[in-house]
Order: sequence, then structure tokens, then C-alpha cells
Amino acid sequence: MIHLYGVVDGLDELPPVRGLDGAPLERRSLEGLELVFSRTSTPPSAEVSREAVLQHAQVVEELAGRSGAILPAQLGHAFRDDGELATAVREQAAQLARCLERVRGCVEFGLRATVAEAGDAVPEAETGADYLRVRLEQARRLDGLVARLHEPLARLARATTRQRRPDGFSAAYLVARKDVAQFREAATGLDRAPEATVVCTGPWPPYSFASEAQS
Amino acid sequence: MSELADKLVDVEGDLHRIAGELEHLPEAFPRRVNADPEKVEKGLAQLVLTLVELLRQLMERQALRRMETGTLTDEQIERLGETFMKLDRRMRELTEHFELEEGDLNLNLGPLGDLL
Amino acid sequence: MSDSGRPVLAHEVTLLELVDRVLNKGVVLTGDITLSVADVDLVYVGLRVLLASVATLEEQRQLAAGEAL
Repeated sequence: MIHLYGVVDGLDELPPVRGLDGAPLERRSLEGLELVFSRTSTPPSAEVSREAVLQHAQVVEELAGRSGAILPAQLGHAFRDDGELATAVREQAAQLARCLERVRGCVEFGLRATVAEAGDAVPEAETGADYLRVRLEQARRLDGLVARLHEPLARLARATTRQRRPDGFSAAYLVARKDVAQFREAATGLDRAPEATVVCTGPWPPYSFASEAQS
Repeated sequence: MSELADKLVDVEGDLHRIAGELEHLPEAFPRRVNADPEKVEKGLAQLVLTLVELLRQLMERQALRRMETGTLTDEQIERLGETFMKLDRRMRELTEHFELEEGDLNLNLGPLGDLL
Repeated sequence: MSDSGRPVLAHEVTLLELVDRVLNKGVVLTGDITLSVADVDLVYVGLRVLLASVATLEEQRQLAAGEAL
């Protein structure tokens, strides 16, 4: 099986690290795109070990530091052989090339915000109208959260994605390297509501912007 | 990864809620819904409940929108609200019955992201 | 929450963000979803096929709406 780490551009040398199962990293050019992968003899299973996740992440991180642009691959999709990999790349070559250009010179930051009562607690309502009223309040509180936390950061990003969570939202930001310092400053200076839990992480390789379906 | 600490830009508030989600991620593998016959029922329940949850959220959101724009009568608001309240309670019961967590009610559609 | 617990929690949360990215984000080169039970493929959904047929349905709907006017 072939395990893919990412599609890269301008990679000078393969990093001095091993891939999953201690396999050596390999590189191959297809359709003007460069792929970095490793071969594994273990069959794909439904369970993914934390170790595999961390190993994959480390390889992607190392590649990101040595490339002009990278599209990190999602863990869990193995290819039976070189032929299957080549077919898959050929089918998406145009999209991959576009995505590479979009992420060039950028890193990703993430935001996760939760409010204890934003949507988790079942409104202990007595009437149907009360129930909807509480739901409406929760929705408005969430909108307020988004406006205070997400929008100031979105303005500094080249692209963003955002999704609802049961009790808040999470978002990802594609930030050009030259804007990173400004972004960090904005992230640490956000106007938080006292009851909100907010986590900002990064810089990550651009996982959330590696395909066109995102934002 | 050695530099995980370098990836934290800022954090505020009670982290226990968020940290607890880590237990679920490596189990909720996106692509394959179960390989073990004993877990078939749970896997199917997860799929069905996810879809019901999607519909519930869509409908509730629609009702809230109509409520805000004032295009629902008081009677409609009351009836809809009661229905959604019951549905919400029933969903929680079913989810608990199948030993699922709220975070399990989701589908990863690969490139299309998460359903919910 | 004690201060001594905080760095551990912060680590956990950062790890969560990492795991979420590696497992749920990133480019997927095969566009298909397979539902299987005991390694027997039950349902094979080609995403491209699905997206193409949704697009066709939408076109047909618009055509029909245009004709009705």
C-alpha cells in the first residue's frame, strides 16, 4: 500500500525522517505535481493509532518547512499501487495545481470557541414557545460570538472556513506569512465574552485549504 | 511532534470541555462504518441518527428564521416548539440508548468536510 | 481549575486540533466513499457521480421553472 503525505512544490530535499511503520519517504512527479509518500505492507484498518497520526503530522510539518507550497494529505487513504495513485492524481491534477497556488506562502491558524450554554443544554422549557425562544437566544449568542471572534481574524486571512459545533464554532484561517505577526496580535487581543472558551492554534500546514471544497 | 507547545497561540476559559473531545476522534474513523458484526446495529444507528439530527437542525433553524421575521402565528410557534422539544428529547434518549455521544452524530464526507 | 493542570490541558487541546486536521482535513485523492460491513462493500458512492447528478437535477428544475412561466 502507498501512503501519501502531501503534494508539494519546490521541495529541495526529502527531510531526514521516516514515514509510517518506519518506511523511507519517497518522491515522484506526476502531471507537473510532486508527491511524497511511503510504502507500507500493513493493510488499511478502520482504526487509526495516535502514533500514526503523529508520525504523519511530523512528516507533513517537515515537508512544509522545505517546500514553497504544500497540500497536506488526509490520513487514512492508502493506494494499492503506483498505478492507482497515478490515476487519482491525474483526475484531480487541475484542482491540485489551483490549490497549491492558493496556499503558496501561507500557513493555517485555527480557532475553536465554545460557550457553555450555546446549544448544549436542552432548554428546560415548559411550552413550545419558550423552547423556541431559548433556541433563538442561543442562536443570537452564537452570532455574537462569531462577530466578536471570527470576523476580526477573517479580515487578515486570504481564505477562511467556519463550521458550527454543538456549543459554538470552529474556524480555520489561511494567512500569508507576511501577515502572521499581525494575525497573532489580533488573536491574542480578541474581545472575549467571559463565559466563552477560546483556543487559537497555529501555524499549521494548510490542511483545511488543501482542497477546493473548503471555502 | 516535538513542537506541539509552539502551536498554541492563545487560550482562554475552561478547557475541560474541549480536551474531552480528544477521546472520540481516533475512534470516529471517517471512511468505514464498522467491520464488526456486533457493532453493525450501532453503526447503522449512528448513521440514521446523524441524518435525523441533520433534518432536526435544518427544520429548527428554518422555524427560528420564520419566527424572527414574524411569519408564524402564535399557535404555530407553540405547536412547532412543542414538536421540536419532543424531538430533541427523543434524540437524546436514542443517542444515549445506543451509547453514542453527541459528537458521534456526524458524517465526514471527505473533501466536502463534515455533514454537521 | 488549578494552574498546574492547565499546561497539560493546553497540550491536549493542541493535540486535538492536530488530530482533527490530520484525520478530517487535508486533500483526499480518492473521491469515493465506501460503506462496508465485515469488509464486504455494501454501498459504493462515487462522489463525482453524485455531484454530477445533483447538478443535472438542478438544471432540469430550472428548465422546468423557465417553461412554466
